[in-house]
This record gives sequence, C-alpha cells and structure tokens, in this order.
Amino acid sequence: MTQKSLQQRIERILPTVTKPGRYVGGELNQVVKPWDSVQTHVALVFPDIYDLGQSNLGMALLYDRLNQHADIAAERAFSPWVDMETAMRNEEIPLFSLENKRPLIDFDIIGVSLPYETLYTNFLNILDLAGIPLYSKARDTHHPLVIAGGQAVFNPEPVAAFVDAFAIGEGEEMVFEIVAAHQSWIASKGSREELLTRLAGIPGVYVPALVAVKYHADGRVQAVESVHPAMKLPVDKRILAKLPSPLNRFLVPNVEVVHERVSVEIMRGCTRGCRFCHAGMVNRPIRERSVDEVLTAIQAGLDQTGYEEVSLLSLSSSDYSEIIPLIEGLKALLIERQVDISLPSLRIESFSEDLMDVLQSLSPGGGFTLAPEAGTERLRKVINKPLSDAELMRTVRSVFQHGWKSLKLYFMIGHPQETLSDIEAIADTCKAVLQEGRQIAGGRAKVHAGVSTFIPKPHTPFQWSAFDDLTAIETKLALLREAFRGTKIKMTWNDPQMSLLEAWLSRGDRRLAPVIESAWRKGARFDAWGDQFRIEPWQAAFAECGLDPDFYSSRERGLNEVLPWDHINAGVRKAFLLDDYQLSLAGEIRPDCRERCYACGILASFNHLRLAQPGGGWKCP
Amino acid sequence: MSLNPQVAAVTRIRVRYAKGNALRFIGHLDLQRLWERLLRRSKLPVRYSQGFHPRARLNLASALPLGFISDEELLDFWLDSPCPLTEIQARLAEAAPPGLKIHTVQQIDPKETALQVQMKASEFTVSFYDPPAATELEQKIAWLLTQEVINKTRRKKTYNLRPLVLDMQVINTLAGERELWMRLLAEPAATGRPDDILEELGFPNTAYLVRRTRVILG
Repeated sequence: MTQKSLQQRIERILPTVTKPGRYVGGELNQVVKPWDSVQTHVALVFPDIYDLGQSNLGMALLYDRLNQHADIAAERAFSPWVDMETAMRNEEIPLFSLENKRPLIDFDIIGVSLPYETLYTNFLNILDLAGIPLYSKARDTHHPLVIAGGQAVFNPEPVAAFVDAFAIGEGEEMVFEIVAAHQSWIASKGSREELLTRLAGIPGVYVPALVAVKYHADGRVQAVESVHPAMKLPVDKRILAKLPSPLNRFLVPNVEVVHERVSVEIMRGCTRGCRFCHAGMVNRPIRERSVDEVLTAIQAGLDQTGYEEVSLLSLSSSDYSEIIPLIEGLKALLIERQVDISLPSLRIESFSEDLMDVLQSLSPGGGFTLAPEAGTERLRKVINKPLSDAELMRTVRSVFQHGWKSLKLYFMIGHPQETLSDIEAIADTCKAVLQEGRQIAGGRAKVHAGVSTFIPKPHTPFQWSAFDDLTAIETKLALLREAFRGTKIKMTWNDPQMSLLEAWLSRGDRRLAPVIESAWRKGARFDAWGDQFRIEPWQAAFAECGLDPDFYSSRERGLNEVLPWDHINAGVRKAFLLDDYQLSLAGEIRPDCRERCYACGILASFNHLRLAQPGGGWKCP
Repeated sequence: MSLNPQVAAVTRIRVRYAKGNALRFIGHLDLQRLWERLLRRSKLPVRYSQGFHPRARLNLASALPLGFISDEELLDFWLDSPCPLTEIQARLAEAAPPGLKIHTVQQIDPKETALQVQMKASEFTVSFYDPPAATELEQKIAWLLTQEVINKTRRKKTYNLRPLVLDMQVINTLAGERELWMRLLAEPAATGRPDDILEELGFPNTAYLVRRTRVILG
C-alpha cells in the first residue's frame, strides 16, 4: 500500500466516527519532519484516546526533546476509540502516527507510556492494530523496538513479556541513550539479541528477556536472576540531577482535550512520606525548579498557546519553598492576560493564609480541594498523613472565610488497620465541614466527598499489605451513602472492581502476561473507563490461565518474601520501607524528611549526582 | 480584572478566512475555541466578556459542518482600541494555526446586525472520491429540482429540504474533475445542508469532500 493511499483511506472513514479531529494531527506547534530526513523514527504512544494522552506532560516533554534533535523524528499515536477501532479493522487500516500518517510498524522505536496499569489491554490492542507481534520473543530485526516507561513500570513484570526494554525512572536523558544504542546497532547490522544486550548496558534500562524468574510451588517468587552479564540486577532507576528545562514548544490541540492549560512542573518528588503514595516514594529525591524558570516557561506557554489557564504541577504544590514569591511573581501576568490559575495538590498543614489570600484574589470563582485521605487522627497516623481534626477544621474555616463556597474532600477507604468507625468518621468530618461552611458562607456552601479505594502499591511501605475485601469495600461505601442520605453532601466514588483490577495488575508477576492477553482477546479494553470496564473477561482469563487473582490482591506478603518487583530499585531501600511499615503497625508517624534525613536510600544511591550538580534544587537536608 | 466596560471607541472587525484540509475535521464549537485562542495569541486589544472567565466576543457567520472545508468563512470580533488593519491582518496571520488562512480584514460599522442574521445563502462544490458519470449526476439533479417536497429528518426533526436548494449544477474543474456545485439557502431558521442533499441523491458521507466556496450576505 502506498503512503498516499493510506492517508486517503483514513480520510474516508473519518466522517463515520465520533470526534474525528482526534485522528488527524495538524495542530499548532506539531513537529512534522520529512520522513526520509532523519535516521531514527520514534513513535510516542499513549495507550488511551487523544483527549487524555495529548494532555500528558511526560509525552509532551519527550516529544519536544526528541524533536530538537536533527536526526530523530518523534511522532504521536494514541488509542482509537471503539468506533474508530472498528472502522480501522473493517478497512484494514493499521494504527498510524498523527504527523506523517505512517503505520507504526514503519518506526524504529515505539515508546509506550504506561502511567497506570489499567492501560495494559489498550497497549496490547495498539500492538495488534499496528501489526506488531504481541510478545517480545516473537519479534525480529524487522520489527520496531518496543520500549515502555512511566510510573506503572516500577513493577514491569506483568507486561514484561510484551516489552523489549523498560526505561525505569526519569526518561529525559535515557531516551537519547536508547536511540544512540539503536543507531549503533543498526550500523553494526546485528541480531535482535545484540540490540537487547546493548540496551541492557544503559543505566535504568531493564530488558526482561535477559532475566529469569523462578517460582515456589505455591506461586511465590523464589528468585530473580540475570541470564546475561550485560543485564545487571537490580536495575537502578534513573533520575536527573537537575530538572531539565521546561517544555519549550507547546502543542495546541484543535479538538477539546481534558486539560487545556499551560502546565509547568515546579517540583519533582515529595518528602512527606505518605505510606500509600506510590508517586511520593518512586519520584524521590525532591528537586525544585527556580521561580524565574517557571515564570519564563509560563509566559512562553501563554504566548504560544493562547490558553486561558495555567497549572503549576507537583506532588505537593504548597510545599514548594518559593510558592508565595512564585504566585506573587505570576500575579501581574495572570491579571494582564486574564488567565486563571490552578494549583493542584495543596497540603492542608503547609497551606498558609498568605497563599489563600493571593489565590483567592486571582481565581475567585472556583472550588477548593483538600485531601485528608482518612477520617480519624489515628488512621491518618497509620498512613503517615498526620493531621489533627482541629487543624483540618481550622483550614476549612479559613477556606470558607476567604470566600470559597465549594469544598471537595478526598478520602480513601480500605486502608490497612481501618475499622468501620474510621468510615463513620469520614461522614462526620464532611458533615462538620459543611456545617462550618454554612456558618460562614450560608446556604451556598457546598461539600463534595470523593472516595477512592486504597491499593497497596509496590515500592511503598504498604507493599506487604493486602487489598481490602471487595464485600468489605461495598459495605463501607454503603455506610457512607447512607450517612450522606438527606444531607447536601455529594459523594462520588471509584468502582471498587476497577480498583481490584488495578491491585492485581500492579502487584502481579510475569505469569500475568497470558491473563492480560486473554482478557484483551475476550474484549477487555479501556479498563480505566467506567462505561467500558468489565470485570468478567478478567475473571474468565484468570480461570483460563489457572491462576487465583486473590493470590495477587488479597494476600499479605511475607516480610521475607521475594517480591516480584524487588529487582527494580526505585531508590528507596526495601529495609527503609519495611521499617516504615512496622512504624505504621505501631501507629507511629515518620515526619517530613525535609527537616531530617531518615536514610531512605536516595542519597546513598544518588548523592554523586547531587554533588556534581550543586544548583539542582535538591531539598534533601 | 476585566477591562472597563465603558470604553467608547469600540471597533468591529470582520475577517474573511479559509478553513483548509488540516482543519477539515474540526467542528464548529472547536473552531470557536480555536479562534478565541488565536485572538489571545495575537495580543490584539480584543474585547472580552465580563466575569470570572472572560471570553473574547466572537461572531461566526455560519456554522460549517464537521468534515467540510471552506474557501470563504466570515467572523466578526471587537477591539477595545483601534489598530491599523494591516497590523491586525499580520498579527492574525502570525497567530493562525495550520489550515487557517486569513484572506482579508476590514472594519465594520458596530451597529450592523449580527453576521448570522445577515446570512442569506452559501455556495458549495462537492468533489467525489469516485466521480459518478455526468449523466447520472445530471439525472439526479434534474429529479431533485423537479420535486416540490423532499422530507428529511435530522436530529428527530423533519423538514422539507427542497426549498433550501436554490440552484444545482454539474461543473468541470480546471483540473478536468467533475464536481457538483450548489447554492443553498442559509437563513437563520432555514439553512440547507449539503450532506443531507447528497444523502438524498444516494451518496454517503464517505464518498465525497464538500468545500464551501462562498457565503452570501443579505
């Protein structure tokens, strides 16, 4: 098939699908390089629809950085929505890139972003739509190299069979080393095995084909061993000593996407040590960007996009040490351009009156979000997000006094050591907050409770804990719904079955590959979408593969057990996590490590980088 | 935060522009947002609405259905302070995304009625991916033009399509391609849709590309 005819065939099916603008590219600041003008073609794939993927900052950063290189072209591809998938399969149109409309199989490297586990079936669907064999071992030198990265791959094992190499940790430097290894391998006309061993030599790259896993008879992992000298275990994640320059070219989608705003990362990592928080553990150390750099990036972003909103991204914005100077510095620009600001992830205890004053003056309309995560002081200590009820109510009062009318409170249920009285306390807290709001803001005060289910994630102190029982979760949700009945408090919650799937996939080992494949063959895709997700194909797939899903989700792991992800080093030592887990069992907290180092392992692993880059903005003491 | 609503010197600007192939699958609402951002990027002293979320005041002449391209679209916007037309044109062209080409910029009497109200008719050409025989097209047109009532249902509403068709012909392009040309009524409550007519003639929307060539104001 010629390139021209593929493009024409795509154009012909587009009038039959919803929101066809997702599939055409052509946006302002897109980078299209003539196909034959570069040596290496990289397809950056986000395995969900354009509307979500195009808002992903990680994708945008890699796209920008790769395309700055003269001999590399990065193009984008996303999952087609179900109607487009049907149309493509009917017309035998392979998955194509948005820039040059090239089939994915023509690319040298497919870089897949896996920020969460419920994308795994979409990932397989993408390989299938592209005509690339699902299993790494079935690919040869003619196939693209399939690389995966993102937060989910800190436990790469469930998708290990489908991926040629994983990029563990921060990818901004690693991608160029991967491309360079690919280029020299092409020049050497080597075998596929030679490509894999070259990649294994790159720090942070994990090649699962060069690693063997042995199991006990009961299914627990017995040992994980390298089978090739090039593949050293454990694989240490990569980090950047200093945050790279922010996005310098902002692509502006023509069709509506989830986040239409200039997003600038102000800080990476978090020192709070909430025990449930995967991001807080795997993204250490904490590094801040300078105020000047953030301001320059925002100005450039607004100039390039014409967006009406600015968002400052980090895991805990109010912990950014220069937050007040930053917002003050932004004020004039925001007012002049009539632009809104959003500041997600505010910590209740680090949230000052000053910050509320300036935020309220800039964005008087919107709502306010706080995340106590648990209903009682006791349980908040267990999860290491300590906060007294008095402190919470003081902040709430201040929020309403500053003029906000609508407050959203995030909670999780299913925490370790949780009892029904902790659940009742969630309802009581929300009611007390609403009452407080009414006293200050009158009848316009609104409280919204967002309830999600705790998932014990790898590389966190709770990695040994079990996922709560599904019936227990349903009971707790019912209790909350009942408690809110007749009140004006609105409650939304996640589908517990979807959380259960996430627990299976995030805590799994290599034996899950055929399960994922089977669930996908039975029609599972868009598992993160409430209207598409079904648990049945997954249950059937586990049964078909002779595996018990409870083994992955509901079992407390032994403290001496080899965990399926132990050979991936996220920088925080297992001994530290274990110590922290035991503190939680004793109901004890571990304070913010900005003040004092608790030797989590980051400095032991990465202090040489810090010393080499003294201006890196590290906040380790 | 918002600009002073009392500003006296309001300038109304009309833009004639083309919506090309890169924007073919961008719908009317998305096009409006695209224009709002284009105007923000242009940094012209555009007039914004009041309130927490100020938006540029925009007026598009006539919605162009998703999947169509156009040689001529009209849009009005307002400036709080005057600016030379050449500079306006240059700044809009600079801020325009791929697929949007600014033809002309002119100043309009602020008291003129809204563009949508002035709309009378649109002209379209239709190119077919697999062009039908000339006689077949001629016959279909002749049949349609002799009807008095052709009922069509769109979004659960039935309407008579025939009076919306002012004229229709088979034309040959300079490149020797056979195309369909039509002039359709485009009044506020009576706007003809080329895709409805083409469906009536037996062509599904996967068979052709529609280009608006002209908008006619009253």
